[in-house]
Amino acid sequence: MPLLTLLLLLPAIGAVLISVLPGQQIRVIRAVALSAAAAAMLLSWGLLSMFDTGVAGLQFFEQVPWNPRLGTSYALGLDGFSLPMVLLATLLCFITLLASRSIRERVKWYFVLVLMLESAMLGVFMAQDWTLFYLLWELTLIPLFFLIDRWGGRRRHQAALNFVLYTMGGSVFMLISLLVLFDVTPAHSFAMASMGDGARTLPEHTQVLIFFGFLIGFGVKMSIFPIHGWLPLAHVEAPSPISILLSGVLLKMGSYGLIRAATMLPEAIAALQPLLAGLALFSLIYGGLLAWRQSDLKAMIAYSSVSHMGIVLLGIAAFNIAGLTGAVMQMVAHGLVAGALFLLIGLLYERTHTRDVNDYSSLMQVTPRFAFFTSLALLAGMGIPGTAGFIAELHAIIGGFERWGWLMLLVSVGMLISAAYSVRTIGRLFTGPVRPRMRDIQDLRATELTAAGVLATAIILLGIAPRPALELMAASIRQLSANFAGL
Amino acid sequence: MVELAWLIPVLPMLAAAWIGVVYVIAGNRGEALEKSTSRIAIAAATLSLLLILVIDLLALVRGAPGQIAFGSWLSSGVYEIRISFTLDTLGLSMATLVALLSLLTLRFSVNYMHREDGFQRFFMILSLFMGAMLLLVMAGSAMLTFIGWELAGVSSYLLIAYAFDRPTATANATRAFVTNRIGDASFIIAIVLSLFWLGSVEWPDILACGGVLETLKVGLILSCFLLAALVKSAQVPFAPWIARALEGPTPSSAIFYGALMVHAGVYLIIRLAPLFELIPELMLLLAVLGAITALYGLLAGLVQTDTKSALIFSTTGQVGLMFLECGLGWFSFAAWHLAAHAAWRAYQFLSAPGLMHLMGRSNRPVPRWLQHRRWLYTASLQRFWLDNIANWLLIKPVRYLARDIQSFDQQVVNRLVGLPGSASAVSSLAQWEQFKVGEAGRVVGDSGDVGRGRGVAGRLMEGVAVLLQWFEEHLVLKGGDEGIFNLIQRLGRNLEKVELLLSQPRYLFLLILITFIVIL
Repeated sequence: MPLLTLLLLLPAIGAVLISVLPGQQIRVIRAVALSAAAAAMLLSWGLLSMFDTGVAGLQFFEQVPWNPRLGTSYALGLDGFSLPMVLLATLLCFITLLASRSIRERVKWYFVLVLMLESAMLGVFMAQDWTLFYLLWELTLIPLFFLIDRWGGRRRHQAALNFVLYTMGGSVFMLISLLVLFDVTPAHSFAMASMGDGARTLPEHTQVLIFFGFLIGFGVKMSIFPIHGWLPLAHVEAPSPISILLSGVLLKMGSYGLIRAATMLPEAIAALQPLLAGLALFSLIYGGLLAWRQSDLKAMIAYSSVSHMGIVLLGIAAFNIAGLTGAVMQMVAHGLVAGALFLLIGLLYERTHTRDVNDYSSLMQVTPRFAFFTSLALLAGMGIPGTAGFIAELHAIIGGFERWGWLMLLVSVGMLISAAYSVRTIGRLFTGPVRPRMRDIQDLRATELTAAGVLATAIILLGIAPRPALELMAASIRQLSANFAGL
Repeated sequence: MVELAWLIPVLPMLAAAWIGVVYVIAGNRGEALEKSTSRIAIAAATLSLLLILVIDLLALVRGAPGQIAFGSWLSSGVYEIRISFTLDTLGLSMATLVALLSLLTLRFSVNYMHREDGFQRFFMILSLFMGAMLLLVMAGSAMLTFIGWELAGVSSYLLIAYAFDRPTATANATRAFVTNRIGDASFIIAIVLSLFWLGSVEWPDILACGGVLETLKVGLILSCFLLAALVKSAQVPFAPWIARALEGPTPSSAIFYGALMVHAGVYLIIRLAPLFELIPELMLLLAVLGAITALYGLLAGLVQTDTKSALIFSTTGQVGLMFLECGLGWFSFAAWHLAAHAAWRAYQFLSAPGLMHLMGRSNRPVPRWLQHRRWLYTASLQRFWLDNIANWLLIKPVRYLARDIQSFDQQVVNRLVGLPGSASAVSSLAQWEQFKVGEAGRVVGDSGDVGRGRGVAGRLMEGVAVLLQWFEEHLVLKGGDEGIFNLIQRLGRNLEKVELLLSQPRYLFLLILITFIVIL
């Protein structure tokens, strides 16, 4: 069986297996889910070992014609952009399942939905045909809707509906753009490669119009200002493990899609560069300031995600080697950091049943492990040297500096703001006088420690030795940025 | 043999490091282990001296080796700083003198410091000082000389404050050290100027700069070195610090202020002799300052009542004479004077503690001619008010300025950046916490200050954040989702109405009629 199809199907097989198991067998269900996710993770790491970093194009490519009259096909492939995302997605899904101990109702369907979600997300990152991409993109909504709506917090119904409406609203624009592109492409095919070839020949204003459709579609998912309205509510109301996936992987689908769209429409990017950079910088500062205003920890992380995705957009807008490297690196780094933060805050919430930062105090003495990992994740979010965030921000700033020069000072304002809320949160959570309510909190258990430790190790490894990761994406980025050398 | 010259200053420094490390791991504390400490120091000093003597002998036979480079210390762009020694006759003879006197003083201290509290500390600092002085006189570049210069200054500071539990000792140490910093600063400026204009700080290059640079620049570099020398050798107007430096144990006074360190300035002048000869104005200045210092030393020395003070003022006077000799162009004579004076003064200082026992009579009275001149007598007794003038001219204004700046800092800067108004009001973290923690354990005045900024930048940030939050809530969240809900509901209601109307037959009929009309 082709490897990528196997990777796509592994979680789905797990989901099918669980759905036929009796609902009382929670242990078995959890074991099956974990092993399916672990198998997917191992397979993706196996793919990494087979991946040739010198090749810019697609690898492990497989294609089955689907509907020749419409030009659709089932096509999967990996390149330097999608492989890091696949690795991130499989890792975070495994972590999510590890952290799902707190889910006690309807456990069976919860795991089924998470595994379905994993399959769909992996498919989005691997798809090399726009119909397949769109199909799987929409498919992620269904499990997420139920996950938020059934297992979420107090305002879960509103959050779930909101999330789906926003994303589908954006998808409509994406679909229109895709249909227009299909229409103007001489080959009349939905394959990413041939569609891109056709699109590149279009005049600039057509490209710009088409790109706007993609920008709205992907921007909603990526939560660019001002279409990020779904994000705070969904992140806060979703069950904590799902928040890990939402901000860790789902946001990345948006920026990944944007990079794919940009590949097809280079002239549009060149024309819209100031707009994209403006949006990016504004998102960066806007998200940061709002994160600073939140006393709800999950809301704070949600808004900090808006801020961090601003850096991704900035790197994409710069569209030079450094900028793109920064963007992809930031996608990975933010996936790890936000994943770690939602994991830890979620676990903390399980124990204290409060997310208000003012209620916490002096956890350093009670729960040193929490203190260590949370501080590490917050500092990594700030971009402290030695963490993955630093490498990403540095590249994005260098890329931006090559394009816009001193305007990048605004990025450092954003960093300052992120330092303000990160350090504030560390201080609030872990220092100060001991409160009676915070006196008997259990520290991280073994499995939770494993989950947090894996993420922390990845954050630090990528920060200290980023070279392998950078080499992984280098070839694809070089090829992509070559499109823009003359623009 | 000459290749091993770098060992000469390094050996005593290694001994110092060894003593320090062993002390930290508690290997040589206590009276019984004094011997191990002193042996190490003396062995290192002896080895250094022997090495120098061998090199001296070689120099006598084959001539002085001159400039030797051992390697590069650092290089940046066109600048390179080498590790090099200048082993000419001046450097070698000075090094011999330093090593010999240091060794003798070390040996003397073994008995003198016996059962003293800081025996190990004393030997460590003295060894460090010996290494520093050797480095100072042997160094081949101004940079290395400066390193020795500074290390000597630091060890001087440490030994003046030897009895660090006595406030006078520490105050005097600070005073002496701070006065020395004036000279150090000007030494650094001289190094920077040489690097900037000459691209090198090697002594031969600096000495040859007369042919390269215009006189003004040479004069500037030279004045900076001169100032450094004046301070280190305690010449007027910087003379008073040396009297304060006598707080240390007698052997240290002997070697620092009697014999060696006080002559470092003279050494620097002699080292720079070729340059001084180019600029007569500076020679004149040297001579004048030297003469004044000699007079100052003489007069202040005459009115002292204790041996050590009399000796130190006499030293100042003699060093002043050396400056005078240099000013008159007699550099070799000054060098001989230096060596003779160093040896003699070291002997005097070391025998001073026993002098009382030996003499059995009180000090010599103040000479009659001085007694009759009241004003001169007073002035001498007051050391010509140099200390007071320095206090009044430098220390007081600086202190007032510092006070004003601190109050500015507290009143204005702290408020601007949002720190608590007076840092001195809360002296410890515990106090701060006590101040903040209310009765119920809830932090007072701190409840929910999330999103509250302090200081100008913080307030600005808060303002913008509040604005953006309003925008987010009213336009993005309410306008977005709740707005969409309302819109959908309203649309739905209207469509229901249309549906209701359409379900009535008359409107259906009307609709069909209209359709027909349109089609037709």
